[in-house]
Amino acid sequence: MIRFDNVTKIFGRDTAALEEINLEVEDGEFIFLVGQSGSGKSTMVRLILKEYEPTAGAIHVRGTRLSAIPRRKIPRHRRSIGCVFQDFKLLPNKTAAENVAYAMEVTGQKRRQIRTKVPQILELVGLTEKMGKMPDQLSGGEQQRVSIARAFVSQPPILIADEPTGNLDPDTSVGIMQLLHRINRIGTTVVVATHDKEMVDVMRKRVVALDNGRIVRDRVKGAYLDEV
Amino acid sequence: MRFNFGFFMREALKNIRTNFLMSITAATTTFICILVLGVGLLVSSHVEGIVGSVQQDVNIEWYLSSDMSQEEIDEMEGEISSFPEVENVSYTSEEEALTRFQDTFSDNPEVYQDISEGVLPASLEIQLNEAEDADAVAGKLEDAGAAPADLNYPQQTIERLNAATGYMIWGLYGATALFLVSSILLISNAIRLSIFARRNEIEVMKLVGASDSFVRTPFVFEGLLQSIVGAGLAALVVVWLNYLFVDWSQSALPYVPVASGAVDTILILLALVIVGVAIGVIGSFVSVTRFLRV
Ligand SMILES: Nc1ncnc2c1ncn2[C@@H]1O[C@H](COP(=O)(O)OP(=O)(O)OP(=O)(O)O)[C@@H](O)[C@H]1O
Ligand SMILES: [Mg+2]
Repeated sequence: MIRFDNVTKIFGRDTAALEEINLEVEDGEFIFLVGQSGSGKSTMVRLILKEYEPTAGAIHVRGTRLSAIPRRKIPRHRRSIGCVFQDFKLLPNKTAAENVAYAMEVTGQKRRQIRTKVPQILELVGLTEKMGKMPDQLSGGEQQRVSIARAFVSQPPILIADEPTGNLDPDTSVGIMQLLHRINRIGTTVVVATHDKEMVDVMRKRVVALDNGRIVRDRVKGAYLDEV
Repeated sequence: MRFNFGFFMREALKNIRTNFLMSITAATTTFICILVLGVGLLVSSHVEGIVGSVQQDVNIEWYLSSDMSQEEIDEMEGEISSFPEVENVSYTSEEEALTRFQDTFSDNPEVYQDISEGVLPASLEIQLNEAEDADAVAGKLEDAGAAPADLNYPQQTIERLNAATGYMIWGLYGATALFLVSSILLISNAIRLSIFARRNEIEVMKLVGASDSFVRTPFVFEGLLQSIVGAGLAALVVVWLNYLFVDWSQSALPYVPVASGAVDTILILLALVIVGVAIGVIGSFVSVTRFLRV
């Protein structure tokens, strides 16, 4: 589903964010990407979205080599990946509901479909009350949930969540993790980058640990701090 | 994907509402630029119109001395008509000269009360094909016996006018072209600023899978609406100014042949709106495209 072959990403002259990453994520898998701040988790997410090109190595998503995707086909590639961004990336001039709807509009879905689907998904993330609010009227956790709703509303085959519980209280975090788990159960490949130790330990999923841009651990039913 | 006009238009209107100040700035810039451009076009057209009409009716007037007999005059008229430079010759008798004078000053009878027949001389009015020939024809008339003092034609005026207006018209066109260029720069800069302020939004749109044209179209529609408003109003004001000017000149400058037809209002209206809208649309297109590389 997602494959990194010897991927290196160097920013500027010598900031190596990732070094020789080899990773294969199977179809329908649920993996955690863990590691300290600056270890390279977000950089991996951005490479998958083809926001950046790798300095060396190749990335395949759903069998397609990303470097072979022409510029004009990038939107279609991105629509196959729902992404919860670490900084939410909501459109500031759209309400919560409009932000979620936008992800459906870019795929050209019908208005009627959008009208029924958006409230459903907002209910799922517990934001029915806030759907008419602008992002700057929402708390960090609420914005994060809008971002999750937007990432999943078109039911893409891959869902990537960069720090999806970073701004949430433990109870809401559990709710979000259960949601991600459910999304995974219906066949979606889910990649979660996080610091959230408790969450990783509770879920007992595959854990890939990054340190300084290198993969230092890869456990099938891992915990955040497995001994090596 | 099918082109969803309604969706893009709604997005554009929403964006104009939320970025109202920016939209107003862009529309106002368009308005001012198109207004000045339009006034430049008006001035050029009117100057051209006046010059054209002055050159059109160049004629030489020959005041005939009263001792010429009617036969001599008829003979002379026939001879002058045969000059190749002359379009036609018409004879004005002393009585006709007086009547014409009285007609001209019909509002002020005291001016002509004391003028009797014979004070105003009879004349031959010689209409020329080309203004440049005035000197040559005058020479021929002198050869035929006309005293230079009896010939009245605006030769020097024409020569100076020709030289001056030639430069002036070119100057006006140059200034208008220059202003067109600065309008393009000013308007597209206003648009670029408003889009620059929203570059992060554009990036987010691209990251959630919007295609270039999906992101761009609402911005282009915004540019279209802003420039229709700005350029449309400016064009209407220009047409109105033209109307005021023509109206005013007829009473204030009766001797300046300002023609109401010198400016084709529909044409100028269309030209200004098209120029404004083209700058707005192309400016928006180019500005957004710059931020689409995400
Ligand atoms: N656009 C960029 N230009 C230069 N350096 C960058 C850029 N993006 C990331 N980096 C660097 O790459 C390294 C990895 O960053 P990354 O954002 O992937 O870390 P992270 O694991 O997501 O951290 P966090 O948990 O804090 O989000 C960091 O040292 C960072 O400074
Ligand atoms: Mg990060």
